[in-house]
Amino acid sequence: MSDELTFMMGQFPARIPTDRNYVATHFWLQAIEPRVYRVGFTAYAVRLLQDVYFLDWSISDGAMVGKKAEIGEIESSKALSTMYSAEAGEIVRINPIVAADPSAINADAYGEGWLYELRTDSSLLSAAEYMDVLAASWEKTQAIIKGQMNQ
Amino acid sequence: MASGKLTVVISQAPGKNPVKRALEEDIAVQLMLGGQVDVSVIPHLYDLPADHTGLMFLRSLPGHFVILSWLYPRAAHWVLDRQKIGGRLGRTRLVDEDEDEAETDDDSVAILAEMNGAHAETASETHGKTSRTIWSIDLRVRSDAAAYVEEIQRIAAEIAVPVVSLGLSFPSKSTPPQAPSTLPVISPPTPIAEIGAASGANTSGSVQQIGTEELTKRRWYPVIDYSRCTNCMECIDFCLFGVYGVDALDRILVEQQDSCKKGCPACSRVCPANAIIFPEHKTAAIAGADGDGPAAFKVDLSKLFGGGNDSAESALEMAVKERDQELVADGREAVGMKVGIPKRQEGKAQSPRDNLDDLLDSLDSF
Repeated sequence: MSDELTFMMGQFPARIPTDRNYVATHFWLQAIEPRVYRVGFTAYAVRLLQDVYFLDWSISDGAMVGKKAEIGEIESSKALSTMYSAEAGEIVRINPIVAADPSAINADAYGEGWLYELRTDSSLLSAAEYMDVLAASWEKTQAIIKGQMNQ
Repeated sequence: MASGKLTVVISQAPGKNPVKRALEEDIAVQLMLGGQVDVSVIPHLYDLPADHTGLMFLRSLPGHFVILSWLYPRAAHWVLDRQKIGGRLGRTRLVDEDEDEAETDDDSVAILAEMNGAHAETASETHGKTSRTIWSIDLRVRSDAAAYVEEIQRIAAEIAVPVVSLGLSFPSKSTPPQAPSTLPVISPPTPIAEIGAASGANTSGSVQQIGTEELTKRRWYPVIDYSRCTNCMECIDFCLFGVYGVDALDRILVEQQDSCKKGCPACSRVCPANAIIFPEHKTAAIAGADGDGPAAFKVDLSKLFGGGNDSAESALEMAVKERDQELVADGREAVGMKVGIPKRQEGKAQSPRDNLDDLLDSLDSF
């Protein structure tokens, strides 16, 4: 993680390392072998989630998934979400450490806190492109959160 | 109440889920064998018509009682309130494991103070019965009957202590049920052995089934939390199905509950005070999950992580869409944003978005 970009979520700096790829749904993908990537939450996603304490996968190792297929549930102290596949492909392996104790997501989002390994041929975003996505959607993200505050 | 025991009412789950029925039955049997409380079973509270025997039974209860239901405690409380079964909302220690329990002690103090004659004013009190407490327990927080039985025994013991220690005595049968100072006389816990010896006598009660054989149809209607409602009338302006009305004092009320459209929570979304509960809605905040501030319930981030479409709909946009769907289903014309849009939110939409920081920081501070 030599270089990194920073997206300011208000006062909070979200680190976006340039040594990996991204998707617009706030996951990073780092190649570990050709076509196989480790997938994890970006700092931006973790900031919105805050302390993750529950992660439940509805798929197992080797599952073939479509892009945005539902693959599990996540819950934190402040938020919950369905988990969707970052891209279409094969879920090669789920991170057993995180499956057993999701706190690694908070402790080391770009390292030990990876979620699963995905084999995919999809094209991915660079860190700079992901920064553009963040800048363009920041207003919308706030609206989503605030909209829900008034439900 | 002739027995002077704490009354425990189990409100059954709608439908016939065997797991839920089994939990209800386990709790009922264990409580009955314990002999410290009177146990009654009624159908799903939310579905009961106003003249149902189950509600008539609840209305006849003069003192404290515990209700176990498959609803958030706040939802159950305001469903009861709507049915003119008022009381102070008792805090239970049996909450979802991740919820804060910090207020429990304060609450116990308040209950004790109240038992000693003090009048704790809380906004949740309506229908006059400020002197009694209704403990509302959500049957979804634990899967084992023992946890519920233990909590009910704790409550029974808690309200028994001051009565015994002060040596107060209350007339039981002769007390008219409407007397506001009526407190149930709680017998000291009866040892199990004694119950065994007396089985067959009237000490070990039976489980009273009240109207559980009658078929109750599923219903869908809003329940107003009057501790939050500011009577701003935005719900009555927004709903085009005639659900809302006002009473003689111009206070908002749910007048035609069965005109409400099944599944539609639109008015709840436009309510600026989050005072409208749809107890069966899948979103916890709409279904009456407890909490006062923005941090008290969870944000659904599914849209950010790939769910649904990419549009960030505001609560108002969602409400308008839901209302239009129901209008069209009724053979009426969709009205979009043209009718009954809350003024307050209209202004909000035009003002620049303020910073998320305050929000996140407020979350952090909890």
